[in-house]
Amino acid sequence: MRWAQRLFKRGRLEHDLAKELAYHVERRTAELVAEGVDPREAARRVRLEFGGADEIKEACRDARGTRWVEDFLLDCRYALRTMASNKAFTALAALSLALGIGANTAIYSFMDSILLRSLPVRDPESLVTLSWRMRSLGRGEKGPVTVLRAMSGSIYKAPTSGLMAEILPYPAFEVFQKNDSVLSSVFAFRRAGRLNLSIKGQADIASGTYVSGDYFRGLGIPPAAGRLLIPDDDRAGAPAVAVVSLGFSEERFGGAANAAGQSILINNVPFTVVGVTPPEFFGVDPGVAPNVYLPLHANLLLEERAQAAYLDQHYYWIEMMARLRPGVSLKQAQTVLEVPFHQWVESTAETDRQRSDLPSLVLREGGGGLTTLRRQYSKPLYLLMTLVGLILAIACANIANLLLARATTRRREMAVRLSMGAGRLRVIRQLLTESVLLAALGGALGVLFSIWGIRFLTLLLANGSDNVTLSAELNWHVLAVTAGLTLLTGLLFGLAPAIQSTRVDVMPALKEVRAGRVRSRWRISLSHVLVVSQIALSLLILMAAGLFIRTLSNLQSVQLGFNRENLLLFQLNARQAGHRDAEIASFYADLQARLTAVPGVRNVSLSHESLVNAGTSSPISLPGAEQDLSTRLLYVGPGYLTTMQIPMLLGREIGERDQPGSQAVAVVSELFAKKNFGGKNPVGEHLTMGGRDPRDMEIIGVAKDARYGGLKGDVPPVVYIPYNQGSQKFVGQMTYALRTSGDPLSYVNTVRELAHQADARVPVSNITTQTVQIDATISQEIAFAKLCAVFAILALAIACVGLYGTMSYNVARRTNEIGIRMALGAQRGGVIWMVLRQVFLLAIVGLAIGVPAALAASKLVESFLFGMKPNDPLTISVAIAVLVAATVIAGYAPARRASKIDPMVALRHD
Amino acid sequence: MLILKVVALDPIHGYGIAQRLQQISQDVLQVQQGSLYPALHRLENRGWLSADWKTSETGREAKYYSLTKLGAKQLMLEDKNWQRLSEAVRLVMKAAR
Repeated sequence: MRWAQRLFKRGRLEHDLAKELAYHVERRTAELVAEGVDPREAARRVRLEFGGADEIKEACRDARGTRWVEDFLLDCRYALRTMASNKAFTALAALSLALGIGANTAIYSFMDSILLRSLPVRDPESLVTLSWRMRSLGRGEKGPVTVLRAMSGSIYKAPTSGLMAEILPYPAFEVFQKNDSVLSSVFAFRRAGRLNLSIKGQADIASGTYVSGDYFRGLGIPPAAGRLLIPDDDRAGAPAVAVVSLGFSEERFGGAANAAGQSILINNVPFTVVGVTPPEFFGVDPGVAPNVYLPLHANLLLEERAQAAYLDQHYYWIEMMARLRPGVSLKQAQTVLEVPFHQWVESTAETDRQRSDLPSLVLREGGGGLTTLRRQYSKPLYLLMTLVGLILAIACANIANLLLARATTRRREMAVRLSMGAGRLRVIRQLLTESVLLAALGGALGVLFSIWGIRFLTLLLANGSDNVTLSAELNWHVLAVTAGLTLLTGLLFGLAPAIQSTRVDVMPALKEVRAGRVRSRWRISLSHVLVVSQIALSLLILMAAGLFIRTLSNLQSVQLGFNRENLLLFQLNARQAGHRDAEIASFYADLQARLTAVPGVRNVSLSHESLVNAGTSSPISLPGAEQDLSTRLLYVGPGYLTTMQIPMLLGREIGERDQPGSQAVAVVSELFAKKNFGGKNPVGEHLTMGGRDPRDMEIIGVAKDARYGGLKGDVPPVVYIPYNQGSQKFVGQMTYALRTSGDPLSYVNTVRELAHQADARVPVSNITTQTVQIDATISQEIAFAKLCAVFAILALAIACVGLYGTMSYNVARRTNEIGIRMALGAQRGGVIWMVLRQVFLLAIVGLAIGVPAALAASKLVESFLFGMKPNDPLTISVAIAVLVAATVIAGYAPARRASKIDPMVALRHD
Repeated sequence: MLILKVVALDPIHGYGIAQRLQQISQDVLQVQQGSLYPALHRLENRGWLSADWKTSETGREAKYYSLTKLGAKQLMLEDKNWQRLSEAVRLVMKAAR
C-alpha cells in the first residue's frame, strides 16, 4: 500500500490490525489449551507472553510511517479547540500579526513587480541590456569635451564611481548589428513620449515607443491580432505603420480584431495599424506601458529635428537590448563586443581630451527589463520593507510575550502531559503547531489586509507621476513568500515559550493549585527582554516617522517665490496637430485671449513648462563673456510673471508688445542680475543665447527669484524669454496657467470647451492645479511621512499592548506580595510607584539600546531627508518623549489595579 | 532476514511465522511476539512483503504474508552479507584457536 493510501485508509488498517493480533492470541490460547492448560490460565499466560496489545498496536502504527501526519492533525484539532476557548487572545494575536504580515505582503508585492520579476517574454534569462560607463561628462568652458555632445535620455551615477547610461547613438546600433557572433538578436528602442493620436477625428494623447525592426522578434512576442513590426517596416521610406497595445485597441477600436488595418493620425501624420501586442506585454520598461509602438525610422517622420540627429554619432538617444546566442555567457559576450564598440567610439573622438575618457561598454542582465523604475524605487522600497519588517518583529515579540504569560497558566496542563509520558519534543511540537496555526490565521487575514495595502500604496507611490504605471498584484510568488513568512513568524514567536513551558518540574507544578510561584523580583525574564526589544524597535520606527514628517514640513514651507493658490495648469501641443511656423504662435496667443475673456479668470499666460517641472538650459551669456551653463531658461507668454505673481524689481515684464518681429527681449531673475552685473542696473544691457535657437536679447526687467525645477536644491539664475520670438521651429508643447478666483478645478470644463473650439485636433492634457503639481514633485516624501506615521502608531500600539500585558501579568502574579505590603502599611501611591518603577526601568533599558541604534540607522536614510541632519535633536527628543508617555500610559492601568488590591482579599487568596 | 526467509517458503500468517522461527531454530531463537508485528508492518511498508487475507487452517480469516520481488532481492542481498560475515567470524575464530 502506498504512503498516501495508508494515510487515508486508516480506519481499515486499524480494523485489520486488531483482527490480526486477535487471531494470534486466539491460536496461541488454543494451542495451550490443547496442551492441557486450563483455558483461563492459558489466556493469562498468553497475555503475559504477548505483552500489552495497545503497545504493539502503537508500534505497528509507527511502522506505517504516517504517524507524524496523524499526530499533526490531532495537534491541529487540539490547537483549534484551545484557540476557540481563548477568543480574546486569539483575536488580538491574529489581528496584530495580520497587520504585520499584511504590510509585509503589500510592500513585498511591489518589490516583486518592480525589482524582481522578469519580463513576460520568451526566455528572459538570455536578454542583456547594453550600457556604458565613463568617468565624467566633463563639460568644459566651451561646452562638452567628451564624444557625447548631445543627448536625450538619462545618465546616472554608477554604483561605484563615474557615470552610466543606456543611451547610444544610432551608428553604435549598427556596430552591434554587424557583430552578431554572440548575439542572436539586437534591438533598439526609444520613448516617443506623448503623442497626439487622432482616430476618425477624435484626438487624444497616448504614450508611444519607437522600436527597431527586430524588437518583437528579439523579445519573442506573438501578436494578439494582425502582425507586429518586422525589420522591413523599419527603414527609410517604408510605409508608415504602427502596432498598438491590447488595452488601447479595446479602448479606441472596440477590440483587438478591429484594430488591424485601421488608419490613424499620429502627430498629424497618417499611419496604418498593422497589429496588436498581447495583453501581458508592456514593453521592456516596467515603468512605462506604451499605447503605440512605431518603427524607429518613424522618428524621422514625426520629429523635425530628427533628420540631423538620427545618424549623428555624437547624439546619444536610443537604448538597446540584445539576446545572447544559446551557450554564450554574459562575460563572453562582453569580451567579444567591447572590442568593436571601443574601436567605433574611438573613431568618433576628435581630440586627445575626448580620447582620454571614452564610454566603455557594459553588458548587464536584461531579463528584468530596464532599470529606470528600479533605480527610482529600489531604495524607498527597501526602506519600507525594513520598516514593516521591524513592525512584524514587534508583533512577533508581542505574541511571544502573551504566549509566555499564558504558558504560565498552562503549567499544570504541561505537567500532566509530561507526567503521562509525553516526550518533551512531542509537547514542544504540539505547542508549535498551536502557534503556527495562530500565525496561519494571522497570515490569511494579512493577505486580505495586503489587498487594501496594495491599493493604498499604488495611489501613494504613483501619486502625480502619470507616465509611470505601477502595478503590483498578489501572484503565487508573493503568496508563497507570505506563506513562508507566516510559518517563520509562527516558529519565531512560538519556539521560546514552547521550550520554556516544557521546562517544568513535574512534581511541584502538579501540586500547585494556581499559578503563583514566587520568583525573585528582578530576575531578568524572557518577557522583560521581549518588552525591552519592542521598546527599542518602536523607537526606531518613531524616529523614522519623525524624520520624514519633519522633512515633509520643511519641503512644504519652502519659499516658492510665486503664488501656488488658485492656479489651474494644463498642457497642449499644437505642433503635434499640424500647426507650424508663425501660425503656431498666433494659435497659442489666440487661445490665451479666449481664456482671458472667461469670467472669473483673472490672468492667463503660458510657458513651455510649468516652473516646478522646468529644467531647460541653454548657453546664455553677456556678449564677450564666458558661457555660463548654470543659467536656466523659461520660454513664456505675455503677462507670465503677473499671472504667477512673481514681483518685478526693475523695469517691465514681457508683454503684448513683444512680438515676433520686434526687438528680442528677456527678463532676468534677481540672482542672474546679481551674478552677472553685481550692483549695476542690468536693464538695457544685452544678452546672447547660443545653441540651436540663437538670439541677441535686450534685458527689459529684473524679477524676484522664484523656484525653478522642483523644491529641492538651490534656485538657479533664470532668464525668461518670449516664446514667440526667435525661431518658431522650437515652439512645441505649452503649459497654460490660469489665475482664477475661487476653485480652479471648476474651470476645467470651460477650458476643454475653449480649446476644442480653437482646434478640435489639439487635445488638452495634464489638467491640474499648481498645488497638486507641487505635491506631485514631493510625492515620495508625502508617502513616506504618511506611511511612517501609520507605522509608528501601529508599532507603538502593539508595543503598549505588550507592555500592558506583561505588567498586568506581573501584578496578578504578585497579588499576594502586594497584599502583604499593603497590610504592613504600604501606601497606594507607593504601590503605584513600585509598578511604574519597573515600567520606567524597562523603558530606560529599551531607550538605552534604541537611541544609539536609531542614531546609527538614521544615517542610512540621510538621502531621503530635506533641510535637516539625520541626528536631528528635536526629532530624537520628541520620539523619546512620545515613547515614554506611551509606556507610562500602558503601565499606569496595571499599576492602578495593583494599588486597588484589598489586603484582606489578597491574603486569603490561596 | 529471518522473517523474510521464513516467508519466502510460502505465504504464512504472523502466528505461523513466530511458530516456525521457534521450530526451525530449535527453540534457540525466541521471537518476542510483541516485536514481531511492528517488524512485519515495517517490511510490508517497505514493499518487501505483501499481505492478503485468507482462510487459515483453523477456518478463521488470517493475514498471510508473502515475499515480493523486491523482498526476494533484499533477502538475497542480506543472505550474501550474512554468509560473508559469518565466514569471516569463523575464520577469525579458527585462527585464534
